[in-house]
Amino acid sequence: MRAELLSLLWLAITIGGYYALKPLYRRRPRWWTSPLLTVPVLLAVLGLVLGMNYPAYIRDTHWLVLMLGPATVAFALPIFRYRALIRAHWPALLAGVLGGSAMAVASAWGLATACGLDDTVRRSLLARSITTPLAMVVSADVGGVPELTALFVVITGVMGIALGELLLRYLPLRSALARGALFGVGAHGAGTAKAYDVGTEEGSVASLAMVLAGLLNVLLAPCLAGWLH
Amino acid sequence: MNTLHVRMRWLAWHRPLLARWAQVALIVLFWFACDQLVRRLHLPVPGSVLALALLLVLLLAGVVPAVGLRRGADWLLAEMLLFFIPAVMAVWEHLPLLRQDGLRILLVILLGTVLVMGTTALLVDLMFRWRQRHAR
Repeated sequence: MRAELLSLLWLAITIGGYYALKPLYRRRPRWWTSPLLTVPVLLAVLGLVLGMNYPAYIRDTHWLVLMLGPATVAFALPIFRYRALIRAHWPALLAGVLGGSAMAVASAWGLATACGLDDTVRRSLLARSITTPLAMVVSADVGGVPELTALFVVITGVMGIALGELLLRYLPLRSALARGALFGVGAHGAGTAKAYDVGTEEGSVASLAMVLAGLLNVLLAPCLAGWLH
Repeated sequence: MNTLHVRMRWLAWHRPLLARWAQVALIVLFWFACDQLVRRLHLPVPGSVLALALLLVLLLAGVVPAVGLRRGADWLLAEMLLFFIPAVMAVWEHLPLLRQDGLRILLVILLGTVLVMGTTALLVDLMFRWRQRHAR
């Protein structure tokens, strides 16, 4: 009975903490005020006080994780909304998404091998650049741990916001298309939000590039899994 | 089919909050149906991706009006952070691993992300400029 109450309490704290901390990001949009970082930190601090026990935590909160499925379906609307953009710029978008995704997989594999990380971690790193719901699917396909991948995706997002800003300053990019794709392929949803701060066109390109890169990874994951075996 | 269009549009315009939750429920049901289908038939694609593809086809064919799902879809996408925070808390189960490899993992992600962003942006920019020069 107490365990059940504790699980429900964790669900309430997760949702409550999220809605309480979200306005902070709206007022000061920095990488360290993102709910992606502040809510897990809040949960970790409470976990140290209340005694965190992951099975008890996830028992009721797994309903939230399940909602990632419908959230993936919702990506149909931005694709539909930007269909004119796809029609006009498909070669550039395709080149960026293909090249970026190939680089994401190759760099994860190469760098992880060079750093001597073990195989599970290396496989979990492969899908870190794409949006979480799809990354967890890909990770399971290529023999990674989906929960570790979710964590790596979050780290990529937080770093990506800061790195993207830096790169925009030094790379000689002439088109909004390139600036948007940089954020969408490199830092998924977190990057997309940042791209909307840069400009509306950058934002729409970013969200489109993010979805396309994610779908490409999901479709190619079985091939990749066979190849890496 | 036309009355459905009219009803969805009417609801979206006159009862925005109700429309949002109705749309979220519709998307969840659609996802659930596709997920079950994939499980029963052992299809090689994830249920959510099949649902995405089917919904896109329905939108492009004009069977489902985009305005009739916009609010629900926007809400799901905007609150996506909330949905994966619990997955992130699985860190707790992997603390020993992270204590041992954490710094190296951060380094891989940092360098990898710079490479991905650079490659993507430069390729898109090159393609874009090349097309502009050769378009006309």
